[in-house]
Amino acid sequence: MAPAVEITEEEISLEQMMQRARSSQAGAVVSFLGTVRNDGIEWMEVEAFRDLALSELEAIRQEAMSRFSLQAAEVAHRTGNLAVGEAIVAIVCSAAHREDAFSGCRYILEQLKSRAPLWKKEISAEGGRWVEGE
Amino acid sequence: MRVKVLAFAGFREILGREREVEMQGDASIRELLEMFASCSPRFREAASEPFCALRDHVLLMVNRKRIDAEKDLYRILADGDELAIFPPLAGG
Repeated sequence: MAPAVEITEEEISLEQMMQRARSSQAGAVVSFLGTVRNDGIEWMEVEAFRDLALSELEAIRQEAMSRFSLQAAEVAHRTGNLAVGEAIVAIVCSAAHREDAFSGCRYILEQLKSRAPLWKKEISAEGGRWVEGE
Repeated sequence: MRVKVLAFAGFREILGREREVEMQGDASIRELLEMFASCSPRFREAASEPFCALRDHVLLMVNRKRIDAEKDLYRILADGDELAIFPPLAGG
């Protein structure tokens, strides 16, 4: 069984996450995919404080599950070197109704950005630049 | 006294991902950071404002708990403590 939160150097399969989130009790499955944007960069490096990031992502996931009565929630975040267009983060939430599924997905994303110890570096022809946190 | 130091992102590029540091007697977080700064001008530039104040973008954890870089800088480290140094989070 796939873990509900994952930090991986492998490509993320949003389709498999969506499939796992489907159930007879879920009337809505909402997904978010964050991808590497081409701002004149050649590639992106993503780094994690891995075990701490995993525990923080699991805490966020559980908060979302209870706040929004989710049927299922999964989060996957890439690390390593990513090409333009590749997925950095994927979030899938299912719920009985769409409002909760949308809210859960957004909650996990916003909390991840402010709480999970992860960093991105953009590499261009001019050199590398760590993305400033929000 | 031995302290494990973990560094991430830009600080990892300067200090390395993980190292053990041996300190003589009691040492505060500030003294440990000053030791890094005295050995590495790159670290000094990345971490310090003029007059040795820590830059806002230096975040610290001791034993996986965030500490206040102003209030807790003089906290004495214990043998076996783990100090993590990193910039503001930027995942997603």
